[in-house]
Amino acid sequence: MWSFSNIADQIHEWLSSTFNPTWTLIIEMVIAGVCVIGLFAALGLVLVIMERKVSAWIQIRLGPNRVGPKGMFQSLADTLKLLVKEGMTPNGADKFLFNLAPFIAMIVAMLLFAPIAFARDFQLWDLNIGVLYVSAVSSIMVISILMAGWSSNNKYSLMGAMRSGAQIVSYELSAGLSILAIVVFTGSLSVPDIVRSQADGWWIFKGHIPAIIAFIIFLIAVTAETNRAPFDLAEAESELTAGFHTEYSGMKFALFFLAEYMNVFIVCAIGATLFLGGWMPFHIGNWEGFNHAMDWIPSSVWFFGKTFFLIFVIMWFRWTFPRLRIDQLLNLEWKYLLPISMFNILLATLMAIMGWHF
Amino acid sequence: MKGATIIFYLLATLTLVCGVLSVTTRQIFRAAIYLLFSLIGIAGLYFWMDYQFIAAVQIVVYVGGIVVLIIFSIFLTQQAGEKLPKQRIDRKIFSALAVFCAFALTMLQLYQHTFYETADEPVPATVANIGNRMLSVKEGGYALPFEVVSILLLAALIGCIVIAMRDKTMNIEQGTLNKEVEKGK
Amino acid sequence: MFIVKYIKDIFGAVKSLSIGMKRTLYYFTHHKEIITQQYPDNKDTLVLPERFKGEVVMPHNENNEHRCTGCQACELACPNGTIKVIFKNDLTPEGKKKKAIDKLVYHLELCTMCNLCIEACPSDAIKMAQTFEHSVYDRSQLTKVLNNPGSKIMEGVE
Repeated sequence: MWSFSNIADQIHEWLSSTFNPTWTLIIEMVIAGVCVIGLFAALGLVLVIMERKVSAWIQIRLGPNRVGPKGMFQSLADTLKLLVKEGMTPNGADKFLFNLAPFIAMIVAMLLFAPIAFARDFQLWDLNIGVLYVSAVSSIMVISILMAGWSSNNKYSLMGAMRSGAQIVSYELSAGLSILAIVVFTGSLSVPDIVRSQADGWWIFKGHIPAIIAFIIFLIAVTAETNRAPFDLAEAESELTAGFHTEYSGMKFALFFLAEYMNVFIVCAIGATLFLGGWMPFHIGNWEGFNHAMDWIPSSVWFFGKTFFLIFVIMWFRWTFPRLRIDQLLNLEWKYLLPISMFNILLATLMAIMGWHF
Repeated sequence: MKGATIIFYLLATLTLVCGVLSVTTRQIFRAAIYLLFSLIGIAGLYFWMDYQFIAAVQIVVYVGGIVVLIIFSIFLTQQAGEKLPKQRIDRKIFSALAVFCAFALTMLQLYQHTFYETADEPVPATVANIGNRMLSVKEGGYALPFEVVSILLLAALIGCIVIAMRDKTMNIEQGTLNKEVEKGK
Repeated sequence: MFIVKYIKDIFGAVKSLSIGMKRTLYYFTHHKEIITQQYPDNKDTLVLPERFKGEVVMPHNENNEHRCTGCQACELACPNGTIKVIFKNDLTPEGKKKKAIDKLVYHLELCTMCNLCIEACPSDAIKMAQTFEHSVYDRSQLTKVLNNPGSKIMEGVE
């Protein structure tokens, strides 16, 4: 049966037998870069059409249904439109930073792909601090938003950027603490180690109460961190037109848009890795037949299935709940999520020490 | 030249050029951004040396924390968008001199210090090792500085809360004062 | 007590949020309830609700007769001067002069479809139609005359 790691190994063997090590490395890096960009484009298209369809069905609408069968090529048409549109820079904007900001957003989103395990033994960069790396690099994201808001020379943009900054800085705490609960159980920050520790059951089942609390807090915090409704105060189209990307048009806007969806994908991938077992298939105790049937499904399908399930949950949040006010948002974080996750981490530590998890 | 050396020089150039730009630019927000790139360059150097934990901490603390704070305070200052006035030439000379002296001092220290090669095996920088070392009270452990830093942070947090807390009694006093003023009218 | 209220708040919030999410999940999985009308495509089968009000019309019978007595109640009732009644003198069969409407002018561009004129009409001469494709290239085409040319009042309507 084919798998990503086999393909990667074969390519590696062929390259090492044909070229010298330096060139092999360079070619492999180029291949990885092209794959990441390709994945970006494909995911962008899929996620945009998915969001539009999910939102439509939740609101008892039809959604896009003109371009292609059932409107499935709508996002392709949108991309084409954004590509040919003029990217304008407003007068009085800080031109250098204005043009730099979308690229930083994009590069950060790309860097975040490095430690994610897409399938069995298939990973771009096996860091021994994978999870910490993700939460560290994703904190650069806020810089691109602040930069965009500032350099647009627009009050709405600036307010959106400030809100977004306050929001991301505060929600990073509870996201980090909920990740830490799983790290306490696993004893490792490396993504493959965390996945391997779930071979006999996903953490959300093995870790029961603290894991479930951590999972819920993680979902809320990453929804806020990726600036999506009900925490989309940074954009808040009814108050701030479009927040930090009010002045952006054409491809520069598209880069912000794409980076947002990529961040959603990445946080969901991390959530799937930590709580739902990454590429590990679903196993139930000693049911040999059932477990074999589950093993037969490729690991990449498991990974993408779980990730897309979490993405659906986040979209479901978005189209169900109304937007929070800024004081409600900060109250929620500092008065509820942070104390709960601190208490939760103590509980998780206690469980890890006493061995109460399964 | 090996590939690793080229990457080192690229990272070093990024760090230094951005550092110089951050003190020479006349727009304060750009200075913060250049500082950010300089710090990212240093994080890149840590990654280059395979000290991944320190690199990630560098990004979390400096890039995600301190630079964001600096940018926030820039946002909250007035006229932050305007260009700063040109510095006087004597100030420039003095600061250049100060930088040069500090640089010379550092280099002197580095050249005078003798670095020993140890025969010990390098300690793998796994999370378990780092955690144990952080909380160890034996030789080479960081329990004391760790606790001191956490108490400092706690004090800072409490201080922030005290400053930010609304003083109810004062408000009431002001309210009565206002009423008295109104009565006086 | 503070801590009890805190925990109650949390559980209440989780409960109410999950009720909302249950509702949206229901909509998400029940595509038959979709309310979107794909308008230009379903023009033939489009069913408008009974209460939909498109414009004011005056029904005529097969003899080109209407029920309007020209009492001007609609003109008075209209809040923004949409209706103007213009009179002429008609001759009755006995040779007497009788006041009758010449034109009932209706400005569709001013009308808000408030239904007050229909309620004011004592002889049910006008009613609301369900047409809604009103766009034209010239504004003057929106000024309409409701009674057909050469029409007259129905027998027995006073």
